Amino acid sequence: MSGSVLVVDDELVVIKSCERILTAEGYNVDSASGGAEALRKTEKTSYDLVLTDLKMPGMDGLTLIKLIKRANPAQGIVVITGYPTQETIKEALEMGIIDYVPKPFTPAVLTDVTRRAFQWIKGTVGGEKPKDEFPPAMIAELDRVIREYKNKPGCAIPVLQRAQEIVGYLPPLIQKRIAKGLNISPAEIHSIVSFYSFFTMKPRGDHTVRVCLGTACYVKGIETIIAKLKDTLMIDVGGITADKKFSLETVRCLGACGLAPVMVIDHDTYGSLTQKKAVDALGNYASLQTAEMSEGDESAAGKGD
Amino acid sequence: MRYKRDERYKRNERYNAINAMNNFRANIMLCAGTGCVASGATNVKSVLEDELKKKGLEDEIKVVLTGCNGYCAKGPVMSVYPDDIFYQSVTTEEIPKLVEEHFLKGRPYEKLMFKEPEKKSAVPLMKDIPFFKYQVLRVLRNKGLIDPEKIEEYIARDGYQAAAKALTQMTPEDVINVIKDSGIRGRGGAGFPTGMKWEFCSKVRSDVKFMLCNGDEGDPGAFMDRSVMEADPHAVIEGMIIGARAIGSHNGYIYVRAEYPLAVKRLQLAIDQCYEAGLLGKNIFDSGFDFDLEIYQGAGAFVCGEETALMRSIEGKRGMPRPRPPFPAHKGLWDKPSVLNNVETLAQIPLIIMNGADWYKSLGTEKSTGTKVFALTGAVNNIGLIEVPMGTPLKTIIFDIGGGIKKGRKFKAVQMGGPSGGCIPESLIDIPVTYEDVVKTGAIMGSGGMVVMDDNNCMVSTAKFFLEFTADESCGKCVPCRVGTRILLDMLIDITEGRGKESDIEPLEDLGRDIIAASLCGLGQTAPNPILTTIRYFKDEYESHIKDKWCKAGVCRSLCTFMIDEKTCTGCGACMRACPAKAITGEKKKPHNIMQEVCVRCRSCYETCKFNSIRILPASAREKVIW
Amino acid sequence: MTRLTIEDLLKIKEKHQAEFNLREGGYRAKVTVHMGTCGIAAGARAVMTALMDEISNAGIKDVIVTTSGCAGLCAREPMATVEIINQPPVKYCDLNEEQIKQIFKEHIMAGTPVEKYVLVAGCETTY
Repeated sequence: MSGSVLVVDDELVVIKSCERILTAEGYNVDSASGGAEALRKTEKTSYDLVLTDLKMPGMDGLTLIKLIKRANPAQGIVVITGYPTQETIKEALEMGIIDYVPKPFTPAVLTDVTRRAFQWIKGTVGGEKPKDEFPPAMIAELDRVIREYKNKPGCAIPVLQRAQEIVGYLPPLIQKRIAKGLNISPAEIHSIVSFYSFFTMKPRGDHTVRVCLGTACYVKGIETIIAKLKDTLMIDVGGITADKKFSLETVRCLGACGLAPVMVIDHDTYGSLTQKKAVDALGNYASLQTAEMSEGDESAAGKGD
Repeated sequence: MRYKRDERYKRNERYNAINAMNNFRANIMLCAGTGCVASGATNVKSVLEDELKKKGLEDEIKVVLTGCNGYCAKGPVMSVYPDDIFYQSVTTEEIPKLVEEHFLKGRPYEKLMFKEPEKKSAVPLMKDIPFFKYQVLRVLRNKGLIDPEKIEEYIARDGYQAAAKALTQMTPEDVINVIKDSGIRGRGGAGFPTGMKWEFCSKVRSDVKFMLCNGDEGDPGAFMDRSVMEADPHAVIEGMIIGARAIGSHNGYIYVRAEYPLAVKRLQLAIDQCYEAGLLGKNIFDSGFDFDLEIYQGAGAFVCGEETALMRSIEGKRGMPRPRPPFPAHKGLWDKPSVLNNVETLAQIPLIIMNGADWYKSLGTEKSTGTKVFALTGAVNNIGLIEVPMGTPLKTIIFDIGGGIKKGRKFKAVQMGGPSGGCIPESLIDIPVTYEDVVKTGAIMGSGGMVVMDDNNCMVSTAKFFLEFTADESCGKCVPCRVGTRILLDMLIDITEGRGKESDIEPLEDLGRDIIAASLCGLGQTAPNPILTTIRYFKDEYESHIKDKWCKAGVCRSLCTFMIDEKTCTGCGACMRACPAKAITGEKKKPHNIMQEVCVRCRSCYETCKFNSIRILPASAREKVIW
Repeated sequence: MTRLTIEDLLKIKEKHQAEFNLREGGYRAKVTVHMGTCGIAAGARAVMTALMDEISNAGIKDVIVTTSGCAGLCAREPMATVEIINQPPVKYCDLNEEQIKQIFKEHIMAGTPVEKYVLVAGCETTY
């Protein structure tokens, strides 16, 4: 194996042992003792993989991951942590880490995780992510959820909900894994996924725009808002933008009729919409510099009141 | 036509409703706002009640606590109805004289009578604002008053005392009898008496029973359950504890829509607090009664509001209804006896246990007791969540509380009951809102959504909107619903796109009735209601769509032409700026023109024009115009 | 919190009422910002933050700031209720950050409701 690794930890012992184990495996190892230093190093040098602790004085691991990912979304990251709480791991997973190593770890675990991470990086670098493959950490988290719910009656829907939170959508591979784990036939899992509108088998964008189709919104002209959003994002309802920033969905009723017409982007509600307000709201989530966005914005301003 | 307000008539009506069951000669409305309580209202109440008893008047005159009237500086204040006399600065010493003068001798006690202050404050009071004036809060009693994330605040408003009473001082039969006596009916839609539901289930012998709460609120246009779960989650939990005790259940689920993240968060927090305080779990209040409660998040399917479908969904399967019997009271969730109640129903259960059945019945009508929460939305001025006694006239709700129609437009209809309901036209606006009276119009009470429509709304496309909904949400299990709603929808689409035939209306009605008769569950049995009611009250609109190819509201794009009236157009250019298709031309200060071949009939100009100069004409008008 | 008995319920009620009673608790005012889905969507969080900032800038300790659910008139959110001793609670509507700052200065500190933003004084009947 060869490749470059940056180890980030505030404990020198951890850095030293990582260096010793990984150098023996043939990796080029560099180190940083904190988030700020790591960030400077990633800006100057490119590493195949960053191994980082989460709890560090100064800039913590989650912030570091966020900043690295902002500059280079493709950067492979593995988390080393002594406190693998569900919350922080979930948050890190959402930011797109590949895997995590719980502290304390044996040399075998570290080399194993590193090797798998490199395999994953090679599969993704220089092209689209291979279909039906997910980062090991994601699969591990999914398996943990399956184990947690396995013996509860009626667990299929909660597991699917959690799986959709973790993976973002429910492709056949994930459905099969859940079916196997819960000992339910894949056909039944699929029948549940296709029945409920909350589940999606298509990937979503970074931000999901849900437009309300309730009666009050209908009476107040939600249709023109949907048309404007479709134009601006250049997608249909159910679609995802070319830059994968937004997906557009409709929902039966958001139960916020007092604000009609209304839409929700991720978890934020936008009420009393006009075409212009709807387009402006999109701008809060992704920069308006892409061609289609700025064009949409201009035309909205031009036509606006 | 403008609706004329007759204050005295209205006021009497409300208090007649309050008096309907009790026949008290008079009511003393004593302010229990913070200000008046601080100046001694609590003492005044007990002294007043003692004095009434002493004089033998306790069966004739009732003391009712009210919200703050805004006269805190003169507190404690009270008013006497129906005499409509207002007293201020009432002290305990003055009460014997007041009771003697007013209630025995029948003349106002002038010493304490309200004196109009010389300088009137510019701040309006509750009684000056119809939106607040006609409301009576029971379900929404803690609305805006407590922090829903703190259990102490709920307890400070008498929270969990009803649960304590039900668990330690009452037998399950006692609880069921009080609820039955109160006459409360399920607030989810059909209005089945809650007490009877509980009684059926309590009589079934089983070790395992389930107490369920329906927070799926699928009706588009209704949001009271969301609001109650967000603003007062403990009230729902307390109602469930009492219900569980009544039917002998030790496990419960609250089924909440996944679209309501804030409600889920606050309910979960409330449940956690209850476990910590021993209000859920083992041996609650040392009564030996155990109850476990958890949240189950729905995954988005309207049909899951139906009780058998909801139970299938909790079992982790496709939420499809099944034929009844067996009823859920016998075979429900996992084939165990189960009771499913709506959020709004459960939130009032603690009040009924605390105050008794007679108190509950003192509002509302004989068959529809208590109050009802409505989500008032659409074309009214005051959009929001309101609570009024059952039997309040529809007119009061829309024109007084709702403040009438926006921009002074003309009221056309109010949609009640969501996709299962119907549209009530202006001619029926005087009906009192009760389960029975609403059903007579062809609509249903439903969960309480009221979407008000004005003359900008096309009734044919409104019916189409709801059919699109039901056709899409039909679970597909039974043929009449799955195929029937699709055919109805196709016929409506034809009509709104100009392909309607004169012979279409009758088959619509016939097929609608067949679907009602043959469908398996409530979804199919009510799906044609929006079509049937709109045909019943707005047949002329269907006819003008079919015969004249004319949608007078300008909603169905194939069936209208927008033109500018040259006589009234001032050439201000507002429509030109609003037009997204750039179809409007014309010089400043001269009448403008719409280029029909460019116009997309989006209504933007119509909405924008301040001079009412945009005319909506039949589709054929386009051809007659020569450009 | 330990397991509650029935007596505890009454104790909590009394304690809470005493503490949050403006007069007995020694508070100047109580402000409730209504934070249902509607309020939050309309910008109640910004209003709340602005108010907290004003209070801490002024170094005031005797104002209770709390949140609650929807106040019922969703279309007029953000709304807030201001209660001061010997005056009816006043509901404000359609608020923004500037307005809440003015309300803080004129109503909470000086005791005069800001009439232009007032929706109503008083509270609803609950029975």
